[in-house]
Amino acid sequence: MERRPTLLHSCALAATAAEARFRIDRPNSKTRDSRIVALDEEAAAILERIRREPWQGARFLTYQGPEDPAAEGPDAVLMTLEGTETRLSEELEGADVAIMVATTDRGAEGASIIGDACFLRRIMTAGLVVGDGAKIDQAITSLRPYASVLVVSSDEDYVPDMLVALRA
Amino acid sequence: MLRLEDNEFLTRTRPGTPMGDLFRQYWIPALLTEELPENDCPPVRVKLLSERLVALRDSSGRYGLIDEFCAHRGVSLWFGRNEEDGLRCPYHGWKYDVTGQCVEVPSEPEESGFCAKIKLTSYPLVEIGDVLWTHMGDPERRPPLPEWEFALVPPEQTFTSKRWQESNWLQALEGGIDSSHVSWLHSSGLQSDPLFKGARGNLYNLRDRRPFFEVVESDGGLFIGARREAEEGHYYWRITPWVMPSLTMIPPRGDHPVHGHFWVPIDDENCWVYSYDYHPTRPLTEEELAAMRSGHGIHCEYVSGTYRPLQNKDNDYLMDREAQKGGETYSGVKGIAMQDASLQESMGPVVDRTKENLVSTDNGIIMARRRLKKAALALRDNGETPPGVDPAHHRVRSASVVLPKEQSFIDASGEALSVVEGTGHSTV
Repeated sequence: MERRPTLLHSCALAATAAEARFRIDRPNSKTRDSRIVALDEEAAAILERIRREPWQGARFLTYQGPEDPAAEGPDAVLMTLEGTETRLSEELEGADVAIMVATTDRGAEGASIIGDACFLRRIMTAGLVVGDGAKIDQAITSLRPYASVLVVSSDEDYVPDMLVALRA
Repeated sequence: MLRLEDNEFLTRTRPGTPMGDLFRQYWIPALLTEELPENDCPPVRVKLLSERLVALRDSSGRYGLIDEFCAHRGVSLWFGRNEEDGLRCPYHGWKYDVTGQCVEVPSEPEESGFCAKIKLTSYPLVEIGDVLWTHMGDPERRPPLPEWEFALVPPEQTFTSKRWQESNWLQALEGGIDSSHVSWLHSSGLQSDPLFKGARGNLYNLRDRRPFFEVVESDGGLFIGARREAEEGHYYWRITPWVMPSLTMIPPRGDHPVHGHFWVPIDDENCWVYSYDYHPTRPLTEEELAAMRSGHGIHCEYVSGTYRPLQNKDNDYLMDREAQKGGETYSGVKGIAMQDASLQESMGPVVDRTKENLVSTDNGIIMARRRLKKAALALRDNGETPPGVDPAHHRVRSASVVLPKEQSFIDASGEALSVVEGTGHSTV
């Protein structure tokens, strides 16, 4: 026997505007733990300009240098924008995503350490290169192996827009 | 996630809205040429950007797109008689030419010149390829005609269809930008559809379901590169151009015709999806045309005599749970076009983006929204011409290429991403 829907919401007609009003209006996700890491000074300045926005748990950090090579696994020294030193391994505890921001190729070392550390922990990585012209070519090349998503934006305003879109 | 006010901003295209004004900067598809097949043929109702219009082809072969309603008593001119270089309202005989100018008011003395005072809003309607294009903005700012390759190649090398989609234009466009769904939703089509199967690139698609993405701004919009593992030391790249406001080009597969979409708002809850297939260097074969006409590839079957898909929300898109379970289709819906449309329509007429949870791989969508908003604000606040208006921005191509891992897709594919007349696409 052919089955026929008996109510509007039991068939694809539930997509009408009238039925769309009944979509449950409660949160459908928990706060994400995002780590936003500046790989160079200009990138740090961009993060400094946006860090006071009302973020949902995002932590803004700058890459300082590699941790002792004798340490187990890739690790790095990071700095919060408030000036507190921290370790990459600590910051990645419970992180959902690591977003690396670069404006030059000076971040190549940081990208490789952060990328490897995230890969080992199965943490999603994204790379955002801000700028244009030949200046950023090397930054793109440096980040490519370590970012699941690589975005090139000529405009630093894309940084906060992207973070809002990702609920950072 | 998008704030409520930004969602409203980007999805509304009525006259006077920022996005409506943005769309009115471009030449956009209004109809297929097949809809006005001969001089003095029946007029066609057209709703675009929330404006109700009627399209006609007069006795001399001139096209026109004018206000649907007679200036006298508001009768729909779709009921009109298309005769002797004009469309005559059947109620009291008022007659209009293709520019909307009233040329006859039978009740008034001809010498009074009354009809010269009556003029309906009208827009140009220009035939390029299989499509009649219109520009609904300020005539003073009318740009040069569009130069999309699919519309400029000889007629035997191109095919365009259209279908009604019951959703806002933006969620439909975003489906065209989001190439990560292909390995899932369309996985069966890659192996069975006559317009897709057989390409070597399909194997890379199916083997690697977690592509890496690169999003790069172009003059007219974006290039979105999706890379997957290929042979050792190489990546398989599929590069999708998006040109503002709403044209997407799908990367090619083997020697199959290349396809893409133009997403055109009808109103805020409906859009037309123009779907094109073309080959830049050879005629389409009879087999390819037959496949396109029968709804394969990115085309669809229709409710007879309409542009409404045969699979639609009234029949649950003919969902086939057996095919879903057995793997014949991934979602249970047949055909690539309707696999996309069914899911995009299921979001509701205008999806509530305050509830979405985007992830990093959605950066193409995030960047597209940002470029649209930025362009709409620059137009509103400073009168800046948006990207994608200049025909030079139309002369781009999609590409699928295998590159050494160290190469940037933009650098290595430079020429492949531009139209070079007489050459084929870069394709795997």
